[in-house]
Amino acid sequence: MSHRSRFLLAAGAWVVAVTGALVALPLVLRDRLPDPLATHWGPSGEADGAMSFWQALLMELGVWALLAGVAWYAALRRDAVRHRAPRKAAGAMLGGAGAFVVALQGMTLAANLDRPGWQAAGRLDWQVLLALGGAVAAGALGWLAASPGPDEPYAREPVKQARMRLRPGQRVVWTSSASNSWVAGLGVAALVAALVLSLSSLTVGIGGLRATAGSLAVAGVLGLALSTVGVRVSDKGVVISFGPFRWPSRKLALRKIQSARAEERSPLQVGGWGLRGLPGSATIMIRGGECLVVRYPSGGELGITVDDAARGAALLNALIAESAP
Amino acid sequence: MLLTLDLNDPRPLHEQVAGAVRHAVASGSVLPGQRLPSARDLAAALGVNANTVLRALRDLRDEGVLEFRRGRGVSVLRPPDGREVLLRRSRELLEEADRYGFRPEDVIEIIKELS
Repeated sequence: MSHRSRFLLAAGAWVVAVTGALVALPLVLRDRLPDPLATHWGPSGEADGAMSFWQALLMELGVWALLAGVAWYAALRRDAVRHRAPRKAAGAMLGGAGAFVVALQGMTLAANLDRPGWQAAGRLDWQVLLALGGAVAAGALGWLAASPGPDEPYAREPVKQARMRLRPGQRVVWTSSASNSWVAGLGVAALVAALVLSLSSLTVGIGGLRATAGSLAVAGVLGLALSTVGVRVSDKGVVISFGPFRWPSRKLALRKIQSARAEERSPLQVGGWGLRGLPGSATIMIRGGECLVVRYPSGGELGITVDDAARGAALLNALIAESAP
Repeated sequence: MLLTLDLNDPRPLHEQVAGAVRHAVASGSVLPGQRLPSARDLAAALGVNANTVLRALRDLRDEGVLEFRRGRGVSVLRPPDGREVLLRRSRELLEEADRYGFRPEDVIEIIKELS
């Protein structure tokens, strides 16, 4: 049996086992559970929401199907199982998500077991941490279980995209940016509001002001960081830097890039502003319009909205072609 | 914005940077009215000091290629014009000549001798 089918068989067995546990546990305990069940707990630890037995079961199964589906898709897309890094990521996701939904199910059932009604369900507080810890541990196990096996190198296809001509003895660089003044304005407004609130919480002393100020400050900093992005391309690779202070920034070495192109993308297409999508098909959406799309040898892509993207893509393709052995 | 530096250029670095920006503007990489990347971004991309870039940008402002606006950064005023540069240099030449007692006609004679 090939390694690929062994991996798929083990992953499939795990999915079936988790699904079986999710269905069997509540069915076995059904006579001892109230209907509806407590399914949601507030920050105080008391139950504050309920669902009928079948609704709760379907919701659990739906969450698991979604998570397992994403991991399964990631493992099979472009035959990612042949490469170690995406295989380990899929293993970690399957293991962690499976353990998490089973732990969630177990917690819910234990809190409801032998209670007269959902309002009388037990408190949940430390159990949540336990479930999270278990999920992380199971994720690590999945990661380890997926790591043996082949790690085929990604083949670099020849670059077919538009590229410019480079002359020897020249250093060519490209720099551009995109910014969104609305987002920047909202970020600044949130920061100012946070400052005013935290100052007034010193004098007025109303509870909750400080927490609001804290979350406003976080929103403001995030808004500012995603209000503008700078991209530069040189013979060292691509540097993407966020925010008015051009920090934090992310570097992509030339050898990790397969090719580049320019494309129009809109917030509607990618699901809003900011960092959108999953690794492998993500977009840094600052404003709708021109986008520099960088393609990795693994087949994944990263789009960055930036002005003058076509020129940057052409330079990047030329630099990649020049650096190739 | 696309910038090209010649690795064997003996000129001072700020002149090279000014040349690269001038070339980018003349080739239509940035159009009149459009904003330039910030001096810090340009410096980071070229791998030079931000002050070198600022000096180059100031030289280009004095040439009339760029425009500095408070709070709005640096934008392109108009593409560099060879005639404009020659006019400025000629004016300087005529002033210099006047200091030595040469009239414009004498300068024209000198230029004719040279060409």
